[in-house]
Amino acid sequence: MGELEILNEIRSMALRRILEATSSAELDAVEIEYLGRKGELTQRLRQVGSLPPEMRKEFGQTVNRIKEELVKAITGRRETLAAAEVSMRLKKEAVDVTLPGRFYQIGRPHILVETLNRIKQIFIGLGYEIVEMPEVESYKYNFAALNYPEEHPALDEQMSFYITDERLLRTHTTAYQHRVMEKRKPPMRVCTLGKCYRVDAVDATHGHTFHQVDCFTVDRGITMADLKGTLQQFATEMFGKQVEVRFRPDFFPFVEPGAEVAVTCTICEGKGCGVCKGSGWLELAGAGMIHPNVLETAGIDSEEYTGFAFGFGVERMPMLIHGINDLRLFMENDLRFLRQL
Amino acid sequence: MRVPTEWLKDYIDLNAPLDELAHKLTMAGLEVEETIELSKKDFASAGGSGTRNEVIWNVKVTPNRGDWLSMVGVARELGPIVGSRIRMPSVDVVSTEPPASELISIRIDDPQLCRRYVGVVIRNVKIKNSPGWMKDRLIAAGMRPINNVVDVTNYVMLELGQPLHAFDLRLLHGSQIIVRQAKEGETITTIDGVERKLERDMLVIADADRPVAIAGIMGGADTEISEQTQDILIESANFNSTSIRRTAKRLNMVTESSYRFERQVDPSVAAIAAMRAAQLIYELGGGEIARGAVDVYPVPVEPLTLTLRPDRANAILGTSIEPADMAGYLNSLEINTSIENNILRCCVPTFRSDITREIDLIEEIGRVYGYDKLPMTLPRSSMQGKDSPEGAFRDKLRRILMSCGAQEVLTHSLVDGKLAELAGKADIRVVVRNPLSEDLDSMRVMLIPNLLQVLARNQAFGTSSLSVFEIGKIYYRNGDGEIGEKLSLAGAMVGSQWRRAWSLPQKALDANFFLCKGVVESLLDGLGVADARFIRTENPLLHPTRAATIVVGDREIGFLGEIAPNVADTLDVRGRPCAFEIDFELLMSVTPDVLKYREVPRYPAIYRHLAVVVSDNIDYHEVEQTVIASGRGLIENVDLLDLYKGEQIPPDRKSLTLSMVFRSLERTLTDEEVNAVLAEVREALIRNVGASFR
Repeated sequence: MGELEILNEIRSMALRRILEATSSAELDAVEIEYLGRKGELTQRLRQVGSLPPEMRKEFGQTVNRIKEELVKAITGRRETLAAAEVSMRLKKEAVDVTLPGRFYQIGRPHILVETLNRIKQIFIGLGYEIVEMPEVESYKYNFAALNYPEEHPALDEQMSFYITDERLLRTHTTAYQHRVMEKRKPPMRVCTLGKCYRVDAVDATHGHTFHQVDCFTVDRGITMADLKGTLQQFATEMFGKQVEVRFRPDFFPFVEPGAEVAVTCTICEGKGCGVCKGSGWLELAGAGMIHPNVLETAGIDSEEYTGFAFGFGVERMPMLIHGINDLRLFMENDLRFLRQL
Repeated sequence: MRVPTEWLKDYIDLNAPLDELAHKLTMAGLEVEETIELSKKDFASAGGSGTRNEVIWNVKVTPNRGDWLSMVGVARELGPIVGSRIRMPSVDVVSTEPPASELISIRIDDPQLCRRYVGVVIRNVKIKNSPGWMKDRLIAAGMRPINNVVDVTNYVMLELGQPLHAFDLRLLHGSQIIVRQAKEGETITTIDGVERKLERDMLVIADADRPVAIAGIMGGADTEISEQTQDILIESANFNSTSIRRTAKRLNMVTESSYRFERQVDPSVAAIAAMRAAQLIYELGGGEIARGAVDVYPVPVEPLTLTLRPDRANAILGTSIEPADMAGYLNSLEINTSIENNILRCCVPTFRSDITREIDLIEEIGRVYGYDKLPMTLPRSSMQGKDSPEGAFRDKLRRILMSCGAQEVLTHSLVDGKLAELAGKADIRVVVRNPLSEDLDSMRVMLIPNLLQVLARNQAFGTSSLSVFEIGKIYYRNGDGEIGEKLSLAGAMVGSQWRRAWSLPQKALDANFFLCKGVVESLLDGLGVADARFIRTENPLLHPTRAATIVVGDREIGFLGEIAPNVADTLDVRGRPCAFEIDFELLMSVTPDVLKYREVPRYPAIYRHLAVVVSDNIDYHEVEQTVIASGRGLIENVDLLDLYKGEQIPPDRKSLTLSMVFRSLERTLTDEEVNAVLAEVREALIRNVGASFR
């Protein structure tokens, strides 16, 4: 057998072994066996010097050609094997994608705080400045400065928790009016929100503690029509376009004319249902033009300036919007309730 | 108040369906809360004639409108609605001699508290049951018929709003009525059979010897009308509303009479009511009406005249109502109004004591015009709205805490005083004088106890993985006893902080001191507060060796720790709860308004680990400070990777594996440089904290 034939023999064998290699390791072994420093082909190349000169060129070229061919075959085979191996490994790593995920408990806002914030944002949009006010109030701010005569039956609706003869827990956020008026000059447009307290037995619709929002504005030329427009704007933002606002006369010592404000029942859209007791309307707020006595007590010229004020309870809104039927849920903090909203 | 609609027709024609009138009355401010239908059977079973049905309105009378507390008052309010005036009942009596003034003497000692006292005498009355029509009307109005005389006093009160009282004249000692304040130690047994102790400033009706009635509230049993009564004195008086309210409250009594006096009764109606009662008693029980009433009325009330500027009315209401229409509206309410030089002159009848100035008339115009017709506008000038600084900061805190997995809660400020004791702050708590119950007698001094209650309640409900926070007011008395309140921020956690973590080691998931501290650190980090330190402390709420104050700069802004076992037990919290509480305003004051940008490092960092073994009593903080101080300013960050105690080191020592980031802002550091710094760090650790290395 001539040298070239032997080379061809080696080539065929090597190519077959490359193709038959079933793992990268096996392929590495084949590579070393043929192309390594002591590999068969490498050794053949070293023999070139012992050949007759006329054969050397062809022999050398053939070895190099075979070597290139083998390198290419090995590279190709290696890629194929690697792909197969990866795919095998990934196959072994299979998980049950239907097993539950692991996750950190997320925190949620309290629905009342969220509602208060929503209300706040609406009034900020209407030009109101939010102010923070004390809850432990004086009789003066809670009643006297708001035009409540002493021993008036209107006080029956505002049974107070007293700390001392003079100090009590505010029964309405309206208590801040005089505090603001005595410190600022018109024009004023302010709003406060927070806890109020009344001596009231606790049940599904009453509590000793509840949240209120109170807004007022004092400026030149403020009218009752402005009050109506403002509350319509608020109701539309809060409940949606379909809601109408209804005013009817009512009495609060600190406003005159005074009004009770109702909105279209959001449950039945005004048709009449159990929630609105068939009337189609839900009481929303107490409102009115700030009584000149209140302005004058604060040293504001009631001829030059007029103002309006309104206040309302907050709990009712999420109750209507989310269909919550018991007021106590808000402060009981059962997470099975809080995490729903 | 119950308003029988058939009865109402005596005074005004109801020319529209009742539903429609009820709606209009409601929209005028006198709310018809419900409509009740009484059947013949209802009347019969209440002792009435049982010959008729009747529709009754239940109206809600606002506290300023005492004049609505009568049939005539409600009829008047219907005037503008049906477009007519009311018919007052005609009073026409046949009187006999001698005159009343010879049969009774009346004296008012305190005209401030009793503006008027009218006495009418009827002799030889036959006491018996009232006829069916009278009984029916009282039943319809929600009252119980008693006898003809008492029924008439009630009937006239319902009709005209004037409370009346009938005395048995023969039982009045000295034929005398004295309106005076009670004397020390006086008592009276009222017609409900209760003996009541009178106090000095309570107004009473007395005869020559003793109190015979608590003025305006209830009569006495001694001089009550009985079957034997023949001669009677009808009292039609006017008492001061404040005095009546005070006495009624003190005696814990509310009667039809006191209810009306508290809301003001028109003094002008007293004489009419007295004669109306005499007339009806005569009709129902015969007898002789003594000529002339005894009418003690030191300072008669005059109608008030007010002027009203139509421009002003329109400026308040936002309308453009013609002055003539305004006058028409007021006249329809019996406020006699004329126009002079474009100004309205209004004569306010004495029954409208709620109208005292122009603005009150403007409301009347608005009411008759109809609030529903008022236009809708927005204030002309625009103003910039904004949140309070506290409100804005509060929202920032909420966002961070929620992102740390804490659920926001809202708890009561009125709490059990025991919670303040638990927190060691009983001495500064604010106590409510008239609590609803003993366990609601105090304002909270701290938020943590409330949050622990929330944890306990939720554990009882079966929720064991809990992390909650609240931002709210706490209340206290300062050194001078002054009451104060401030915002506070607190969080509490217990159990796993993961919603789902199957196969993960429970120990790593459960809340503990460090997880709680981590929340506080995240909060401070989120706010950009950089230099917080945590210093061992003691707090009655906290575990004695797992408690720290939070110090920023030189201010103690709050504390955190594991809850003391006895506190957890008392509040029924299972497991090992942890909590923190931070002063809201202090936190706000140490939070930078604006965070400044620091250049992002451009050169690469080199990372090294170092296992430092130190004595147990060396704080981590000391180790960390030593590393940073000896790092030639090249150590960007030190972090703890592991804390080890165990066999491989001596028992009283611990191993802290630190991860250090070396970086220069000016150049790329070399390994040699870092090694040199690290050698210095090791030396410093040996020197300062007696460290060895693993």
